[in-house]
Amino acid sequence: MISPDLKKQFLSIVDPTRWLDQKEQLFCYAYDAFVEESMPDAVIFPETTDEVSQILALASAHKIPVTGRGAGTSVCGAPVPLHHGLVICFSQMDRIIEINTKDRYIIVEPGVVNADVQAALAPYGFFFPPDPGSMNSSTIGGNIAQNAGGPRCLKYGVTLDYILGLEVVLASGKVITFGSKNIKDVTGYKLAALFCGSEGTLGLVTKAILKVVPLPETVKTIMATFKDLDDTAKAVTDIIGSGILPAAMELMDRLTLNAIEDKAGLGLDREAAGTLLIEVDGVAEACDKQIKQITEKLHASHAVNIQEAGSAEDRERLWTARRSAYGVFAKLAPDIISEDVTVPVSRVPEMVRRIVQIADKYKLRVGVLAHAGDGNMHPMIPADKSNAQEWERVLAAFDEIFQAAADLDGTLSGEHGIGLAKSKYLPLVMNQDTIDFMKTIKQAVDPDGILNPGKFV
Amino acid sequence: MTDQPIQNCGKCGLCLSVCPVYQVLKQEQASPRARLQLIKAFEKKDLSASPLLKDLVSRCLMCGACKVACPSGINHYAKFMEMRRKMAKSQPDPPAIRSLVYLLAKEYRLRMGAGLARIGRRLTPGALEKKYKIGTIPVSRFPEMNRRSFRSTLPRVAFAKDSPGGHCRDNPRGRVVYFTGCATNFLFADTGQATVNILTRLGYEVVIPDGQTCCGIPMMFHGARDQAVENMAVNLTAIQEAMRENSGNTTENAKDAAAENCDAMDKACDEAAKHCDAVIVDCTTCGAALKDEYPALMNTLDPSRNKALAHQIALAQKTTPGMPDTIAAKTRDILSFLHDHMDDLAAAMKPTTPKHKVIYHAPCHSKNSFNSLAKVLDLLKALPCFDYIPVPDEAACCGGGGTFFYEYPDISRKMMAKKLISARAAGADFWLTDCPVCRINLHGSLSEKDNLTVVHPVTLISKGLGS
Repeated sequence: MISPDLKKQFLSIVDPTRWLDQKEQLFCYAYDAFVEESMPDAVIFPETTDEVSQILALASAHKIPVTGRGAGTSVCGAPVPLHHGLVICFSQMDRIIEINTKDRYIIVEPGVVNADVQAALAPYGFFFPPDPGSMNSSTIGGNIAQNAGGPRCLKYGVTLDYILGLEVVLASGKVITFGSKNIKDVTGYKLAALFCGSEGTLGLVTKAILKVVPLPETVKTIMATFKDLDDTAKAVTDIIGSGILPAAMELMDRLTLNAIEDKAGLGLDREAAGTLLIEVDGVAEACDKQIKQITEKLHASHAVNIQEAGSAEDRERLWTARRSAYGVFAKLAPDIISEDVTVPVSRVPEMVRRIVQIADKYKLRVGVLAHAGDGNMHPMIPADKSNAQEWERVLAAFDEIFQAAADLDGTLSGEHGIGLAKSKYLPLVMNQDTIDFMKTIKQAVDPDGILNPGKFV
Repeated sequence: MTDQPIQNCGKCGLCLSVCPVYQVLKQEQASPRARLQLIKAFEKKDLSASPLLKDLVSRCLMCGACKVACPSGINHYAKFMEMRRKMAKSQPDPPAIRSLVYLLAKEYRLRMGAGLARIGRRLTPGALEKKYKIGTIPVSRFPEMNRRSFRSTLPRVAFAKDSPGGHCRDNPRGRVVYFTGCATNFLFADTGQATVNILTRLGYEVVIPDGQTCCGIPMMFHGARDQAVENMAVNLTAIQEAMRENSGNTTENAKDAAAENCDAMDKACDEAAKHCDAVIVDCTTCGAALKDEYPALMNTLDPSRNKALAHQIALAQKTTPGMPDTIAAKTRDILSFLHDHMDDLAAAMKPTTPKHKVIYHAPCHSKNSFNSLAKVLDLLKALPCFDYIPVPDEAACCGGGGTFFYEYPDISRKMMAKKLISARAAGADFWLTDCPVCRINLHGSLSEKDNLTVVHPVTLISKGLGS
């Protein structure tokens, strides 16, 4: 709890419009897109690094738990304040500080929305590759905290690959800065890798220098449908395995595709057992060549229908529909768990088979959706949490799905993060010494454990 | 897609990116997702009605953008409306809003109110008018009331004029019913005159329903559902009668038929529909009432459960069953309707027609309920009376939102501020919009120094056609 006296001290840092502590307001900061919820005691909206530093120093002095939040679109419970305390919400710290495409970087505050970064860069002919499904709402701070991915990360890499430098406020309130405006920089530890993906357990990002890249000259999107889900997955392995690297390669099973089609009405083939959405980009000639190679592979894998999106608008409609997949799934049941186990791409067919078998075993519906080109699976199970018996089966099914991923040399999460959702599965992919090493780091950086307590470290 | 229960909100947060209020405040409690979660907590009795809860739920323009964007099929709009109704008793609106709802509930009150407003306006010293504001708008920038109500200046039926397709009074292209709404009737007669002129010049016979009254949306937004039901009953009856005008099948006949058997009722419904090509609205909010809210409201009504409303329900049900749906299916916003006739309109305008430099502001219900934005832009580009200048935020909300600009002036002002900058920079003569509240809000936010006239697009189209 935050005492009236302590509240007064917080209010000497920010004005009262940037402080919330009424029950009705706090309800709105108890959740992200994951199923678990927990209410904070107060929410504070900093606008400057200095304010963040003062807030953390004060919280540290009183050992108040602090959980960072951007737009609350995480799907693993990362910004859910499990131990209550203070939520620091960065949504109002949202200035784009500098765009420099000559030196290929952009400097932003953490509350800037991913899509706003794209919109700011587009007139210069540049973009920021990470494109999580939530990109229209999610903030860069959140993207960094979760090391967010997205479809085109297959070719371009994930958020961490685009961080040149960060300004981070530590639990003590100390402000550290590392990295620079340089693409090459081996001055000391690569600290970005420590904080990016730390889910707010080590420090709070207050400024980021991000690498940006030129927009490709040509983009082409094709969609292929299959009679058999296994063939669909094999096509992925074939294409990637033969050395072709599309920008994105998405796999959808029938349940997923129908849920998307219900909302988007694009005339997608509802009968197809599997659908691949493939995008290539680059210079026109290379794109044409890649499309030709991919088409040959698709035919060899028994694709029934291959279609190219005619216009930029058609492409945008397809990708908007794809990005809505989590949301459209939500309508199938009161609750939904979407996981993102990831396996080496050659194991994708096996992993898809196992997911389907496990869901069958527990008599659950499963939507198999995947950023298949990089092995990043998104099995989604719609269910009703208030049906205890069914929910037990859901949890048991996910236990097996995580085990299956581990068996196939996979990992727990490709891009969503650990959060509340899967801390208990860490031992499947990490030995105790490794987990202890993470704890050692956490202990050193945040000795009182005030930063996002109750999560994976 | 059928509406999904709140439990099916996956909390994905997509709605944050389309909500104009969230975009200004950047605090979660001002987002559609949060409002749903609050309603859920209220229904589970984790939260009880309180002034703060009411404020959080009401801090919304009811623009419907979230509903359109929602991948989970949640009808936020309906949920918010229902929640406002549930809290109306324990958390009443401020007196000014309640008076407005009272005024709109009955046509005669509105007429009287309009008359009094004209007198009041004449008696108010100019200095005071400039100084005092209602919400964000100085009193002096509010529109003058029509000298006479628009509908009282027109015959019930406006006959087709000679038109290019060889249509004329005795050989009309078709018949349309024109639901004028309150704003055109009492404030913006120019919109009504232009609408009737264009439609008759296209060769349509225009029937203006007798006895129509406020569509009821303001009541629905402020939790006064019972009054809304009353207005709905009046309007359904009025529109139905207008649809059947001259069809030789009077309402009395239909009722007799109804008493005999269901087939006959269906026939009567079809018959009425056959004689009417469209129910035209010049205001897409009224249009949303006819198209979406009336059928939805009818579905929730059960005379045995809503005893106090039994009389109004009976009145609404006296119209042929299926009528709300028939009317809904026929409801067209004037601009989309004109889009169907774009070539005829262009041909009817002289090449010498003066070109007006225009920018456009898309009202929320035009975008979200009628999906008309692309069509309107087509019209603006195609018709010779327009020199259309695109502005980047033409589809962004102006912050009017019914009474939102009055209830939340600070938020409203921020929404408008950005629009004003791009509007002023465009160098246009006219700022076109097809919603009376947006019109009041845009005009009210401009100053006398701005050389920008805010009108409904039909005004310039009508001028281009000549009378």
